[in-house]
Amino acid sequence: MTISDHSRRRFLGLAAWATAGMTALGGARSFAQPASPPKMPEITAIPEKLKGSGEVRIAAYGGTAQDAERTAYFAPFERLSGVKTLDFPGADVNKVKAMVDTGNVEWDVVQLGRSTVKNLMKKGDYFEKIDYDLVDVGNIDPLYRYDYALDMLVWSQVMAYRTDAFKGAVPNGWADFWDTKKFPGDRTLTGAGPSTPELEFALLAAGVPPDKIYPIDIDKAFESYDKIKASVVKWWETGAVPVQMLSDREVVLASVWNGRMAAIQAAGVPAAISWNQGLLKRDCWAVPKNAPNKANAMKFIAFSTLAISQARLSMLIPYGSVNNKSAEYLTEKQLEILPSAPAIRSQLIPYNYEWWVDNRDTVIGRWNKWILA
Amino acid sequence: MATVAIASGRLSRAPLRHTAPILLVAPLALYMAAFYALPLASMLLRSIADPTWTMENYRRLAGDAVFLHVFGTTLRTALIVTLGALAFGYPVALALSRLRQGAATLVLIIVLLPFWTSVLVRSYAWMVLLGRKGLVNEALIATGLIDAPLKLLNTPFAVHIAMIHILLPYMILPIASVLRQIDGALLRAAAGLGAPPRRVFLQVVLPLSIPGVAAGVLLVFVLSLGFYITPALVGGPRDLMLSMLIAQQVDLLNWPYAACLSTALLAATLLLILVSLRLPGVRDVLRTATR
Repeated sequence: MTISDHSRRRFLGLAAWATAGMTALGGARSFAQPASPPKMPEITAIPEKLKGSGEVRIAAYGGTAQDAERTAYFAPFERLSGVKTLDFPGADVNKVKAMVDTGNVEWDVVQLGRSTVKNLMKKGDYFEKIDYDLVDVGNIDPLYRYDYALDMLVWSQVMAYRTDAFKGAVPNGWADFWDTKKFPGDRTLTGAGPSTPELEFALLAAGVPPDKIYPIDIDKAFESYDKIKASVVKWWETGAVPVQMLSDREVVLASVWNGRMAAIQAAGVPAAISWNQGLLKRDCWAVPKNAPNKANAMKFIAFSTLAISQARLSMLIPYGSVNNKSAEYLTEKQLEILPSAPAIRSQLIPYNYEWWVDNRDTVIGRWNKWILA
Repeated sequence: MATVAIASGRLSRAPLRHTAPILLVAPLALYMAAFYALPLASMLLRSIADPTWTMENYRRLAGDAVFLHVFGTTLRTALIVTLGALAFGYPVALALSRLRQGAATLVLIIVLLPFWTSVLVRSYAWMVLLGRKGLVNEALIATGLIDAPLKLLNTPFAVHIAMIHILLPYMILPIASVLRQIDGALLRAAAGLGAPPRRVFLQVVLPLSIPGVAAGVLLVFVLSLGFYITPALVGGPRDLMLSMLIAQQVDLLNWPYAACLSTALLAATLLLILVSLRLPGVRDVLRTATR
């Protein structure tokens, strides 16, 4: 299960597996799956315009997330559309670039992050335009739609904490995360590996209101980082690390990918998510330029973002939906842990992909100097 | 040519002697040319010719304080890991060479065991061991040696210890192989001439084992230079290795600069190999290997 805006999927997939193994080894109960699989709404028919023939080749991030996508989207799409649906792990923007550069495009649909897609579009014409005539645009917010990619999975980078660490006090917002007196103990945050450092959190901690975060005041963010640097024992690069550190009591506070928390909670680790001031991030589907089955790719993308398809995925893995109608298929309890649920989404700040596309190089250059200083 | 040479048997024995080895290595040579040399060349080219001919990347490299710092960290880490692996590996190699066949096989299996587990899993295992509530700290506290847990994980120490563990077989195997080839008569002769065991070791065994040591040191050092996963997982905030910097540039789609960094790493590695080939010990290894 690996959801983020970056590329080292295979490594991360392995990491997830290793974490599961090590937690079991560490004495915790092994990650429990829900006792009985949730009853998913069956898709019985699809619009005529989404039917076709031939095949479509989809690259995703592998692991349990791809298993969930297979059950939620790939299998019903193949059954109902008549398009043979093949899926591959290892989605990676660098591979897309190499494929398009060499004219040997093997994937029709690729799971990526929007900033990755935009970054590559800056280098040339690497992706096809999404065919929005097929898409359920009436129920998908403009926030999720982009000319060359359609968001299809909503997740959040949020604060998580050990519930046994602060005598019942609950950290709420990044100012608390930065407050080492009120909430003593070591922390972990994201570094500048494949993903971007959390300058947003640094600004929120410094008292910048959520709606004034972007454009990011880089100087101010690093000044704020200076104040927490000594308490951050690890700047993580992969989502397996912070949850492992919470499990092992290496840290009491962490930023995490929300989907990772369910697993350690199921394993009995006293840890919880504090949703307030989290970042709302998304994965998207994109179609590499000159994909051999472009028409089928567009049909699949439209199918997978239908309300029912999106709801099916949320039942398998705690990631949210881009389709506003999906909530109708989900119970209150299921909605409780989804970043796209209205009560949670209102506390989150949409990650500004546009700002990061323009500033990522600058920030990472600055970051490298800061971390080594 | 080859079939003719073989068919004509005795008559063409002499040319066969030269053709056959070339034919034997040809498949590997072609494979390496197509799947290693060619991509490598294209990478080197990318650092100076993407999109147009330029030395800009290398100019940037020379003035890149982050690169220089990280390069220093990488070399220092490789050096410490190599020395550590030698300190732990040599006694094991010695024991391995002295044991009877059955016992030696058992030890060999134990030495090779880590090879069968992925680097990633072993790195996570070190996280479990070295953590604040990890096995090491719990044991030290239980025995009363320390009161509060030591900070072991997410430090350079954790990087070194985990990398030494992973790379130990590369040190042990070449040394053991050289030690096993030492003629027992030499040791008996030394002892017969009145040398105590310590002197036999220092004046006979140790000098004769230098080729193995050189091979092991070179292997471990070169492999250390490219480590990525282990430092990323168990290292501290400042334990940035060159491979991590390269990966970062690839993720930023800065392929030319990533290629430039990779070329710097490759050049440093090649330089090191060339220099060490001049050392007498290493020359002997090559001679042993090709004998």
